[in-house]
Amino acid sequence: MKIVAGILTLLFTLFGHEHTDDIKADILEKVFTNISINKEIIIWSDNENLILEFKAKANFATASKCSDASILILESKQNIDKECQEKAIFVMNYALLKDIPQSFGAIFWKKGRPNIVIIAPRAKANSIKISEKLDDYLEEKIW
Amino acid sequence: MVKSKDLVIFSLLFVLGISFAYIYNEIKTTKEDIFTRVERDQIEHISGILQNIESDFISSLGIKNKDDMLEKLENNENRKKYEHIASLLMTPNIKYAYILQKDETGRFRFLLDASKTDKAGFYQKFDVNSPEYMRAYATAKPQIIKQKNIENLYITLLHPIISNGEVIALFSVDITTEIQDLIHNSVEPLENFFIILIVIVMLFMLLIILQLFHYFITRKRVFTDPLTNTFNRNYLEELLHVINLKNYGIAMLDLDKFKSINDVYGHQTGDYILIQASKIFKASIRAGDILVRYGGEEFLLFIHNRNGSALDVCERIRESIFLGEYFYDGNEIKTSVSIGLHKHPSLEKNLHEAIKIADKMLYLAKKNGRNRVEIYDEKALSEENSSSKDISFIKEALDEERVVCCYQPIYDYKSGEIYKYESLVRIIASDGRVVLPFEFLPQIKGTNMHYKLTQRILHIVFEKVIESKKNISININFSDLTNPDIQETIVSTLSNNSELASKITFEILESDEIDDVELFKEKTSMLHSLGAKVSIDDFGSGYSNFKTIIDIEANYLKIDGSLIQNIDINIKDYKVAKSIIHFASQSNMKTVAEFVHSKEVFDKLVELNVDYMQGFYISQPKATLIEKEELFL
Repeated sequence: MKIVAGILTLLFTLFGHEHTDDIKADILEKVFTNISINKEIIIWSDNENLILEFKAKANFATASKCSDASILILESKQNIDKECQEKAIFVMNYALLKDIPQSFGAIFWKKGRPNIVIIAPRAKANSIKISEKLDDYLEEKIW
Repeated sequence: MVKSKDLVIFSLLFVLGISFAYIYNEIKTTKEDIFTRVERDQIEHISGILQNIESDFISSLGIKNKDDMLEKLENNENRKKYEHIASLLMTPNIKYAYILQKDETGRFRFLLDASKTDKAGFYQKFDVNSPEYMRAYATAKPQIIKQKNIENLYITLLHPIISNGEVIALFSVDITTEIQDLIHNSVEPLENFFIILIVIVMLFMLLIILQLFHYFITRKRVFTDPLTNTFNRNYLEELLHVINLKNYGIAMLDLDKFKSINDVYGHQTGDYILIQASKIFKASIRAGDILVRYGGEEFLLFIHNRNGSALDVCERIRESIFLGEYFYDGNEIKTSVSIGLHKHPSLEKNLHEAIKIADKMLYLAKKNGRNRVEIYDEKALSEENSSSKDISFIKEALDEERVVCCYQPIYDYKSGEIYKYESLVRIIASDGRVVLPFEFLPQIKGTNMHYKLTQRILHIVFEKVIESKKNISININFSDLTNPDIQETIVSTLSNNSELASKITFEILESDEIDDVELFKEKTSMLHSLGAKVSIDDFGSGYSNFKTIIDIEANYLKIDGSLIQNIDINIKDYKVAKSIIHFASQSNMKTVAEFVHSKEVFDKLVELNVDYMQGFYISQPKATLIEKEELFL
């Protein structure tokens, strides 16, 4: 409950703020803290600033190449190498969820409010276990 | 007075600051009021349109419940139609317009989105946290969410869509801040201007407060005696301008035998006694009374009438001091206080005059045996028209060591040697001017200050004799001799130093003061017993009583200057002087002629066979003991 409250507070606090990379990293960190995959979470992103933010926080390992990562954070579909297409992907745009079938979740701003969506079947397909603390953000499909 | 100006400026700044703060607050209130009016107008306007859309929506699509709503809007055509209708609502001030429905899990989902940008898909989840969403559902009443003024969102209007009394969805409209921004940007410079003015005024006020604080700290230091933590004499000058004497009685307090305490136990002990005594004084008085250390061991107490009887306060102080136990450095010290009280100082011309009378009462208290309170009785005191500022003038001179002695040689023309010197008191005024005795002695006659001055002169002359080994005479009043403190000083000093005593002559003024002949004889006898000599001063001018003079066995007769100064031209004076010299010779007394101002007078006195001479012809009084070579210059 604390986690949900924390995320809600964070979302609420950040509602309306500039979508800077440190805020995005904060939200992603909260999400990744409550998921588990069958290997160490190593993060790679096509947004270098986001990687720097994760490095500064030092709670998750980061990779300089997408092939070394276990979770990719994408802002653009074009930035993913072929060799990484099968990895678990978290996107920064709701539309990308549709465009990238491997993506299992997204954070994005909708009408000025931060939103989180995690597609449960895709997460399961990626062997990602989602903590019940994130239940409020789970969706069965992309609408 | 400068501080009054500061206070006026401070008050003006305060009023100015309050005015600016008031204007600033009015601007802000007006701005908020405009915001509220704009907001209300916008909401009323939008709510009206939303109601129209809602009616059309419900009736045209035949929606009965939330499932109907979901079903109808799942249809693309229906959705596009009503998105188009709702999009007519969009103006520069309305950024987003959409319909949300709460699903079975309590999450809100988009059913329709008429927004031109950031459009949401059908049934897309929308994370909202504000309680107003749930409240709109629960109450079926419109809700307004005031968003933070960021991201251009100003308020969100939630309009419940109701069918059959049940909220089936929410029409949500996000209104932008454009008008508010415009108002805010227009008013902000004015607000900032007043903020700057207020800050400047506050800074000036702070500066004045600091200045006043510094002034009061300095003032406290200037007006406080550091040893006893009571007011000092500087404060008395301040009181002159503000005190209403009608409200006060004035008491002059003086610790008895304080000089002895200092001499016997040392100055540290004396300071200790002063501190203890001042504590007792302070404990014995009440709020409204004013205690001033007048100097040395003397205190001045202003007793407010509302605090009861001034005499009771004085008696309480006297008793407390007397009963107090004082131990310092292993010694028990006994002390007491004498108090002179003037109960109605407002009857006097001014404060100094009232103090002078209190001081006279103090003198009486000392004379009558110490450790007592004497109250001013108008019948007992003769009226005097003396200058009123002399007591404090002498008090300051004593405290600041500006009381000095000059010495005039008394010449033995037969041997050509200086026989002895007469000490003559002078006060160096604060401006450096030398003030002669006739300017201040008459004014302090009969006051406690007179005997304090005599004490100081005795001290100076005794030191001078010890230092120079010369004979020096000291002028002293009969009343001084009867003062217990002066007598004690003389006895304690001379009884242990016969050489010093042998070189001292006490010149006692022959005057009507000597009303108690037996006491006079007793005192001169005491001086003789100590080994000192006695001279009758100004003989021939007052109430000369030849028998008394013979009885007291004076060593010298000093012929009054008024008989000497014209002796060369006035035959009557010549004859009187001749008679006195003859009388003195027959009575085994030496004669001294003063006021020898010319060679003619000098020669006449030689002719009369006077023993010693003194005057400007021989030498003026000097600050030092001159030698015979410096005579007749």
